[in-house]
Amino acid sequence: MTQHLPILSIISLFIGAFIVALIKEKNEMLRNTIVLIATFLSFVFTIMMYRPIILEGNILTYWMGNWEPIKDWAIGIGLEVDQLSLFFGLFISLSIVLSALYSFRYIERETGKDKYYVLFLMMSASVMGFIFTGDLFNMYVMIEIMTFASVALTAFRNDRPEAVEAGFKYIAIGSIGSSLILLATVIIYAQFHTLNLAQLAGELYNNYTAITIFALALMIVGYAVKVFAVPTHFVAPDAYMVAPSSISMLFSGIVNKAAVYGILRIIYVVYQSMNLSSMQFLLVFWGTVTMFIGVTMALAQHDFKRLLAFHSISQIGYVLTGIGLTTALGITGGLYHALNHTLFKGLLFLCAGAVFYATGTTDLDKLGGLAKRMPQTTLIFLIGAFSISGIPPFNGFVSKWIIYQASYEAGYAPVTIIALIVSVMTLASFIKVAQSAFFGQLPKEFKNVEEVPLSMRIPMWIMAILCIVGGIVPSTVTKYLITPAANAVMNSAKYVEVMMGKEFASKFYSNLGSAPVIDYKLAGYWQPIAWLILFGILLLAFTLVAVLGGFNPKKFSYADEEDAKYDVFFSGESAEFSHVGGSDLFWGLKYQFRHYFDFMHKIHSGLVNDYALSVVLTAAVILLYVFTFVR
Amino acid sequence: MELLKTILYILLYPGLIYCVIGGLILSGIDRKLLARMQKRIGPPILQPFYDFFKLLGKETIVPRNAAKKAFLAAPVIGLISLITVSLFIPVFKFSPFSTYADLIVVIYLLTIPAVALIVGGSASGSPYAGVGISREMVAIISYELPMVVSLLAIAKKVGLALNNGVMTFSLAQIVEYQAQNGPLFTKISIIPAFIAMLLVIPCKVGSLPFDIAEAEIEICEGPLVEYSGAPLAIFKLNHAIKMLVMTSLFVTLFLSGAGTGILVVDALIQFILIIIVMFFSITLLKAITARLRVEQTLKFYWTYPTALAFLSLILVYFGL
Repeated sequence: MTQHLPILSIISLFIGAFIVALIKEKNEMLRNTIVLIATFLSFVFTIMMYRPIILEGNILTYWMGNWEPIKDWAIGIGLEVDQLSLFFGLFISLSIVLSALYSFRYIERETGKDKYYVLFLMMSASVMGFIFTGDLFNMYVMIEIMTFASVALTAFRNDRPEAVEAGFKYIAIGSIGSSLILLATVIIYAQFHTLNLAQLAGELYNNYTAITIFALALMIVGYAVKVFAVPTHFVAPDAYMVAPSSISMLFSGIVNKAAVYGILRIIYVVYQSMNLSSMQFLLVFWGTVTMFIGVTMALAQHDFKRLLAFHSISQIGYVLTGIGLTTALGITGGLYHALNHTLFKGLLFLCAGAVFYATGTTDLDKLGGLAKRMPQTTLIFLIGAFSISGIPPFNGFVSKWIIYQASYEAGYAPVTIIALIVSVMTLASFIKVAQSAFFGQLPKEFKNVEEVPLSMRIPMWIMAILCIVGGIVPSTVTKYLITPAANAVMNSAKYVEVMMGKEFASKFYSNLGSAPVIDYKLAGYWQPIAWLILFGILLLAFTLVAVLGGFNPKKFSYADEEDAKYDVFFSGESAEFSHVGGSDLFWGLKYQFRHYFDFMHKIHSGLVNDYALSVVLTAAVILLYVFTFVR
Repeated sequence: MELLKTILYILLYPGLIYCVIGGLILSGIDRKLLARMQKRIGPPILQPFYDFFKLLGKETIVPRNAAKKAFLAAPVIGLISLITVSLFIPVFKFSPFSTYADLIVVIYLLTIPAVALIVGGSASGSPYAGVGISREMVAIISYELPMVVSLLAIAKKVGLALNNGVMTFSLAQIVEYQAQNGPLFTKISIIPAFIAMLLVIPCKVGSLPFDIAEAEIEICEGPLVEYSGAPLAIFKLNHAIKMLVMTSLFVTLFLSGAGTGILVVDALIQFILIIIVMFFSITLLKAITARLRVEQTLKFYWTYPTALAFLSLILVYFGL
């Protein structure tokens, strides 16, 4: 049973997709049940792999059709699940289940729901296949399925012209990325006559030639397009904004993460270039630029989901920086942040979806005062916002803090400073959302909005609770999830050995069997539990004093009568024009950096030609860089 | 016995009681000094206590537009976070929870009161509060850059001496370094960071010329405009405690050392140093300047203090 788990967790989603396609629109109840069962089964199969892989430290391999390698030549397609794959698999399959649960009510008013679910399951299945596969061409196939399902889902609300436009942009840019990956795959295949990742890793070990470096550069650019690193990010905000929120959540939670996984797998395991300082510098620099430009663009947005999309780009910058540092601490921070980003960004996209479901808009200039009508969504939003801004004791703080430490220790002081500033700017833009959408004045047309249904709140609450847990017990999370994954990243010899046999691996690796020991203590002195206990005791003491002192909230006067003293203070200004929010907030900041913002505005032209050009230019620059510096 | 001691730390010194009394006295001294500089007699030093208790007795009005729970919870969360931070700041070598005291964590915990102010103001639904929180946020962005760079300089300086060149964010180690080598502000490379941090304090506690968020005569105290009664009293208390905690952190970072080893004496010396730091960074500036506009604040912090802090960082890397 155990060795079949990888294929089962992929195939259950594919089968679900085919059955849903057969049912069409006939029976909604049956269709929803099948979607739920398929996603949940996949999640369960992934969980079942936790014990053999992470706890016992094995690597599962599965040869499709039992085509095992003969004389060190892998012909068939193999699945190989190591700790890194499973780490990604766990939170990806969880977010698939939650997104499916959220979708049922969220898209109830749309047409073409059967197609939505087919595409949804295809996209999920392709991501699972992508991270569990051990075959380079299979990776390409899966990323192709993923891209096309994403494009179709982006344009799902095709009654809105901007959705079709975003779909078109996505297909153009996504295809360029896929083509680069395909080209690199072809080159590698022509060179080594194999597509198996483990075999390639062995062949490529300390074997850099001009042609393999060329392929590496193409791979990096291809996956950077999929991860939406600046300057290939232009299409992301459009796509995230118009796609249904449950899909936007998957875009940032799983599609992006699959590309991060691709970078890790290609650069670290297959090419083993983590010791090259030039590669390190490339990723750290790229990540830093990405996080800075992402967050400054987010500050200027006035659409809830577009703002979240730019944050998605910015947070991926943190992940790239973390894994680019290549120290044990850096990889730990990067992987931790990848996990956290899936949780809090998914949560925030679901909040945006809830706001859209209740009010029909996500424009911050039009919203306001929803806290009175949707208290639970507001609370959940605040948890997500504090997590992403890195406020203790939520999870974003832990991973960001590890990245600060790792980058400063590795001698990248400017990166640490930028990362810290970006964190504050993240807080600023979420304060803007809170003020514009949830607090402030409630517009007349939203007087009767209601809290979203329970089946939409459950996924949000699960993610919110995970955000808090990840922040309170960071050492446990690190020990049982992150460290095994970081270990797998740094130990490609074992990956080769398990897949291709000891004999093959010993041809290339001299240090077989001995994993490099990760010699870090979780640096620092932060014990969230101690802080929380102190906080609790003080709260108790405060309450005691307050009760003894007659400080009783029940005595406060609330607005139960029509008295002018309960109105907010306007000092004669006309009430309609006095709500401050949306694009009006942060005037001072925008004024001082107006040249920067003007420039950025010009660059984000909205023309797909410009965007394609920027991808091609990126490819040219990276090729030049890699050929000049990587040896 | 250990437990009893811990509870005493939490409730008495340097926790709840000390923060409340120390903060309010500090605020009273500030007002008195300011008045003397302006040739006024000024209020008695205990005036903040009278104000606090008077506000507690007043009626608390929750506006119709407000999100009630967030509106009432915000001041309490801010207060308790501030007191908790105070527990992590070493007073010379005395520190009840030193093993967890980390510079970055303390700085991030210190943002929670600011966030509480922002959320509370935002929840009141007032347009003045809207302007206020936007300004508060810009102020945070302004001072964060010089502050972060200064702290990194200190971390590197201490790490070079104590930790084989690996930087350290541990407050206990920073105090240890000063016990061995004398206060940090006597080191040439740290002096620019010292000045930069001195300039950060007034913005962090929101006093003139950087009180853009609460500008009374422009936007009626911004986030506090709708507050009254007990919640307002707690916000005023927060303001006083923030002053105490920030200056105390500053003293620990730059003016600390081995101390005498007797807790009462050390606490007294710390408090006297706090008053001196407060005089230069808060009271003196308040007496001689007028309020800056929001974009001027940003420009000021991202130029002079930031340049000073970077100078410090570079000097540290050169080993001075």
